[in-house]
Formats: sequence, C-alpha cells, structure tokens
Amino acid sequence: MSSKMQASQAGQALWSKMPKANAELFALTYGSLVTELVRDYEDPIEVNAQLDRIGHSIGVRCVDELLSKADVAGMGLATQCQNLRDTAEVVAKVGFKMFLGVQAEVGGFSQDQRSFSIYLQDNPLATFVELPAAGDEQYNGDDLRKLKYSNLYCGVIRGALEQVNLKVECNIVRDTLKGDEVNEIRVELKEVLADGAGDDYKEE
Amino acid sequence: MTVHAIHIFDRKGKTLFTKRYTSSKQSSTQDAEQLSEQRKLIFGMLFSLRELVGSLTPGNGSPALKSVRTGAGTLHCFETISGLRIAMYTNNNPIMNTIGARAPGADNTKTSFQTALKYIYSDIWVECVVRSPLYRPEDIQVDPVEGKENKSGRFDIKSTNFESKLDAYLASMPWFR
Repeated sequence: MSSKMQASQAGQALWSKMPKANAELFALTYGSLVTELVRDYEDPIEVNAQLDRIGHSIGVRCVDELLSKADVAGMGLATQCQNLRDTAEVVAKVGFKMFLGVQAEVGGFSQDQRSFSIYLQDNPLATFVELPAAGDEQYNGDDLRKLKYSNLYCGVIRGALEQVNLKVECNIVRDTLKGDEVNEIRVELKEVLADGAGDDYKEE
Repeated sequence: MTVHAIHIFDRKGKTLFTKRYTSSKQSSTQDAEQLSEQRKLIFGMLFSLRELVGSLTPGNGSPALKSVRTGAGTLHCFETISGLRIAMYTNNNPIMNTIGARAPGADNTKTSFQTALKYIYSDIWVECVVRSPLYRPEDIQVDPVEGKENKSGRFDIKSTNFESKLDAYLASMPWFR
C-alpha cells in the first residue's frame, strides 16, 4: 500500500514540475494527426499500426525523461520496481500523471502476474472526439469502428518498457469512444529481455 | 588535468559518445583503433563487474557499481535502468579523496562524481540528446574512426549541443583542471 501512495505522490510532484501545454491544443493536434493518418492509410488497422509506431518512438524517449526526473520526486526507481506490479504502478501513477496530468488505475492482474490492465477514467487524447456511428455510410462508420483512436498509448507503453528490458504487448480493450464506461489498456508481459552485448559491440 | 576521458555506452555496449580530455602521443589513426579497443574493454569490464556485484549483493540492496579505483586513476560510472552507462576516467582526485572532504558535515554532494554523472545524464543528456527530434536510440552515429564513411540519415550527437554543454559543465567543477 505504501508503494502505491508513494507512486502517486511522486507522480504529483513530477507533474507539478513539468512544463505544461494547453490541453485543448494537445487534443486537437492529436486529433488532426489521427485524421490525417485515416486519410492517408484508409485502412483503420494500418492506422492503428502507425499510431503504435509513433507511440513507440515517443515511449523510448519518455522513459529517460521519467528516469532522469524520478529522483527529484524522491523515489529510487532502481530499487523500487522489483516486480511487474511495481512497474505497473509506476507506469500508471507516475508515467501517466507526469506526461498527461491524469491518474490511471491499475488492476486486473492475471493469475500468473504477467498481465495487467490500466484504467483511464478520462482520456486527454479523446477530448472533443466522436467516432462516426456504426452504419453511418457517409463517414465510413462501419470501417472506423475498427480504429483504435488512442492506440498511441499502447505504443508509448511498449516503447518505454522496452527500454527497461521488458517486452510487452499492449492492447486497448475498452474505449469510452465506443461506448464503454472506461478506457482499459491491457498490458501483457511477453518476456524479460536479458542484458548482453549486442552486435554493435562485437563489430566495433 | 583531472578528467581524462568520458564515454557513454548504451545497453548493448555501443559507444554513443566519447571524448578525451588528455592528449596522447600516438598518431591519430593508430590511436583511434586503440581507443575503440579500449572502450570495448571498459564496457566489458563494467558489464562483467556489474553481473558479479549483482550476484554478490544480498537481498534488496542496490547493486549499482559506482567506481573502480586503481593506483593511477578512478573510473567513475553511472548507469540508468534504461541501460545507459556513463563512464568517466579521472585521476585519484586530491579534492575528493582528502579526509577533510569526506568529513561528516562537509558538503560534498555538490561536487561528488556520482552527482556530477547524474547531472550529466538528467540535465545534459536528456535535455540535449533525448529531446532532439532527430534522436533515434537504435541509430546513433559515432564518429571515433576518422575517415569512416558517414551513413546518411543517422543521428550524430555532434549535431546537438551536448558536447559544448558537457564541456562547460565539467569545466565548472572544482575537480576539473
């Protein structure tokens, strides 16, 4: 319990230190990015993949940002994340809070402790967003049901955890834009990567 | 000169940045090869030591390796859980090693090497390199061998102001002379 408290306090402390951008501008910029992708790729599945890719690039940067600031908030991360539960707490309470200003909840751990869910009550990316209704011929509603509007999150989480040697797979399983009452991102740990010298080391 | 060299490695042992502050007598081509070999050894040593220390550390203590000291100098290292390793080779600095500086109450947090390396990571590396729009972690151009062809499109740390900021910071430290 204490680690949970600590994580949310640290998240709060970091959030207060981050430079802020206007939330509406942020939501609208993301909206236009997604719209542009939809226009370019047409296939929503492909758009999801692109969003995931963009997110991945963001994630690999975010993690250094978080780690470099973590000590400011008085948490020694290296000793704190002993298991996936701790990691999940940090992602939800520190990561989401620090970069988006919203607090996420963690839950739904699987029996083997290798997967969990992150619940977002409100999603800053989806402000002002409405997906066309199913069966809406004019706006291609049926097709766009397959679009995962906030798939960026999946990429970010994947990229960030990859940098700390955790290979995960993320999926948006519930989405308020599609009428669910909460946004749920399912994160599944695939493997813990081993440290080791890579090809570059050998060739250099 | 107190600081001899600074190297930054990624998780896989690739050199991301390297700079020497003391000049050597050898010719530059021979030198580059030797230095690359040297970096390989440094990373290899840090890596193996880290593994060893990790397996020796009981319980939940932090197994972080901080420095390796020899008769001639000290290798200070700092690693992040994102896999970055910063190694700085200095001589056995008199300021840092006098009993006075370590006495209880003496404020050495501002000058300690660990603090300095942490600052280099969080305020210079993250600021200049990670935030650069061109930064792609898996695709960093390292220059050490002169004359080696530059693959276009690769991110070069030299294109950021990392180096100048690093130099300015190090020069402001009391142990950098």
